[in-house]
This record gives sequence, structure tokens and C-alpha cells, in this order.
Amino acid sequence: MSKKLVSAIADMREEEALKLVRQMTAEGTPPMAILDAAREAMGIVGERYEKGTYFLPELILAGEMLSQITEVIRPELAKMPEIKRHGKVLIGTVKGDIHDIGKNIVTFMLDVNGFDVRDIGVDVSPQKFVEAIREFQPQVVGLSGFLTLAFDAMKETIEAIKASGLREGVKIMIGGGQITDQIREYAGADAYGRDAMAGVSLAKKWLAK
Amino acid sequence: MSRLQIIGEKINGTRPHVARAIRQRDAGVIRDLATKQAEAGAAWLDVNAGTHSGAEPDDLVWLIETVQPVVDIPLCLDSANPAAVAAGMQTVKRTPMVNSISGEAQRMDGILPLVSEHNCSVIALAMDSAGIPDTCDRRLEVVRRLMAETRSHGIPDDHVYLDPLVMTLATNAENAQITLDTIRAIRQEFPQAHLTMGLSNVSFGLPARSHINRAFLTLALAAGLDSAILDPLDREMMAALVAAELVLGFDNHCLNYTRAYRGGLFARPGVKATRA
Repeated sequence: MSKKLVSAIADMREEEALKLVRQMTAEGTPPMAILDAAREAMGIVGERYEKGTYFLPELILAGEMLSQITEVIRPELAKMPEIKRHGKVLIGTVKGDIHDIGKNIVTFMLDVNGFDVRDIGVDVSPQKFVEAIREFQPQVVGLSGFLTLAFDAMKETIEAIKASGLREGVKIMIGGGQITDQIREYAGADAYGRDAMAGVSLAKKWLAK
Repeated sequence: MSRLQIIGEKINGTRPHVARAIRQRDAGVIRDLATKQAEAGAAWLDVNAGTHSGAEPDDLVWLIETVQPVVDIPLCLDSANPAAVAAGMQTVKRTPMVNSISGEAQRMDGILPLVSEHNCSVIALAMDSAGIPDTCDRRLEVVRRLMAETRSHGIPDDHVYLDPLVMTLATNAENAQITLDTIRAIRQEFPQAHLTMGLSNVSFGLPARSHINRAFLTLALAAGLDSAILDPLDREMMAALVAAELVLGFDNHCLNYTRAYRGGLFARPGVKATRA
């Protein structure tokens, strides 16, 4: 049945996917098996997006399916030990910028690729980034921004992270439609990514060490 | 020329080759974009220096000085930076438009006094510091605040180009409908104000975007859009515009349409014109 679940999610059959999950839960399938199937399906969705077969709407629907599935199995899941992840990534759109599509795609791709991602939203002040780093203790921080205004906000954010003594503990990547290596240097980030997969590769590279 | 006031979008420093031309002070590249857009029917030329540093006022002034000798149409000074807009005001020959303000107090305070002082037009976005509202009603509330502000600065309604804003359909299939509803509501409540918009965001994240953009332009025209920020060199878009204005009854004796036909706007390689 988990094969059927994988293809139902990957092929965007939302109702069927949820029905299967309810059925499997009722029959006593362990929640981890359901999550594994969901993750496999998300991997397929991600691949299809990368290949240009799927587009943003499919990513969003897949994300919705995943959160609905998680909702259904949450009672069972609560009884399980915590899932092992590659590492933690904190991500947000910097102050003054409210673009979230790119950030959401990166969050989705990181999640699919086994990272524990915390998305702290848009228009996030440097102070809020600092607080979230203290609390969540990520190894990687992603700053997103599409507006040219965001370049200064990125620089400010990274300076605030430095000033709070947390800079040594994290790798910082920046991204957004217009980021170049010049901007990366200006902002003081460790690297920048052109697209969502670049963000995943960077996080993988940094956490492999 | 279309009834729709086209604001030509191509001189934008956030596009890499325009940024390079600005950096290298390559007037040829910029002038070429200016004349081509004017010839293609732009009523205004957007100029965006796109810099994130203190160079923006100088860069914007250079753009204006570069463009003005070769085109007769007014400019749309595209900057959120009051210093750059003020510098631009000293340089323009024709009364410009400013792109843009929003419901954010900071952006209004810096820009509106300049708009008022120079008696020019301004684009006002239906969003505020909380972001882009996701319902027609809440966008309208922002628009009401914007209009109260422009009126209190003595700016006549027909100098205000309200932008109802559109989010991509990829994240919510009703996003275009929200914008169309907002256009109709603004038309009703502020009949003297203009309505303008960048169209292409509607199709972000989707394939074959030009089909979506054209369908959206057509429906927005029917709802009351009378200006748009677009690429007038996009022939398919311009053909859709001319045809839609004809169908909506904006084109007396179909003259724009037949003129566009004679000008080759509808010609496709390998397709022969026919009267049948």
C-alpha cells in the first residue's frame, strides 16, 4: 500500500493520498513507514520540479499534502523517538522584503532532502534572526531577499549575528533572484545559491564536514 | 497607439545587461532600449538605476540625461529612494511619474512632497508594511488610505496611478480574480484615478507564461485597467492588447487594429495574410 501512497502523492492525487493514509493508520501501519513513503514521494516531486515537468503549483500542493498527512499521523508519531536529520537550517526573508516564494521552495527542498528546517517567515529583523539562532541552534542560516533593499538588510543581519558572537558557529548562505558573488561579498555571507538545489548542495557540503 | 498607457519596463538596472550598461556608462545600450520602446507605443519610459549603494541618485540622473535627447515621451522615475527621485526631478525635461509609493508611511513621507511640489504623477501600490493584503476588501482599505494621503498633499486623483497588485496563480488559483475584483472596486470608488500594474507576476512559477499574461491583460482591460507596466517589444502581448481594445469598443473604426495589421504586428513567419 505504501507504493500506492508514493504514487498518489507524486502524481498529485490528493484525496486518494489522504484516504490511503487514513486506511494505513487504521490498519496499524507504523507512522514511520507512512512518513518514509511521503518522503520518497516528495523526492520524486522535487526531481520532477528540477526537470521542469512540475512547477510551483505542484510543489505547493505537495507541501499541503505533506502537512495534512502529518496531521493525520501526528497522534501515532508523538509516541515515536525523534527522527534523525542531517542537521538544522534556519531560513527567513530579511527585513524590508516580503518575497517568500523562493524561500518556500528552498525550505521545501531542504526538508525533502532530510534537513530539519525552521522557516521564520518574511520581513525578519536582524534581532529576530539572532534570537532564532540562539534558540534553534542551526548549523546553517539562509537569508532570502529579492529586492535590492534586501542587500543592505542581509549585510545588517550578518553584522548583527557577528556582534552577538554567533557568527563562528554558523555557515550563512544568501539567495534571491538578483544575488551575485559581489553581493555575497558585500553582505559578508559564506556563499550564495542561484536556485533551490544550490541551497541544498551548500547545506549538504557544510554539514558533511 | 493603444488607449492603455504603456509604461515601458526595459530600462531596469535589476536586469544584468542594463546594470552593466549603467556601470560602464554605455549610452548606446540604454538609448536603443529607449527608442525601441517609444516606437513600439510606450507612453512612459520607466527608468530604474537598480543600484543598492549611494550611487543611485547619480546613476538615475545619468539614465535620464542619456534617454531624454532621443525620446519625446515622459519618464517614470523608478526608485524608493527620495534622494534619487529628488535628483531626478532636477534633471527631467517633461513632468515625470514616480514609481512608487505604498501604504508604508516611510515611503509616502519621502516621496509625496516631491510629487506634490513638481505637480507630477505617482504610482501607488495597494500594500503596506504588513505586506500585500490577500483580499480585495483589504487592498481597497489601503487604497483609501493612499488616496486620503495624496489628496491631503493636493495631488489630483488623475495624477495617481493605483496598482492593485497581483500575486502568482501558482500559489493560489484565485490570485488573479482578487486583483480583477480590486480593479473593479477601485474604478467604482475612484473613477478619476488611473489603474496600472505589472502583469507578469501573475504567471510566476508556471510554464508558458506569455499565454497567462495575455489572458490576464485582456481581462484586466475589461475590468478597467488603463495603464500597464510591460515590455512593448513583446509582439504577442501587443497584438493581444490591440485585439482586446478593439473587442472592448475602445478602437473607433478599428483604426488601431488595422494600422497594427499594416504595420506587421500580427505577421508570423511563413503565414500568409488573407482576407478570407
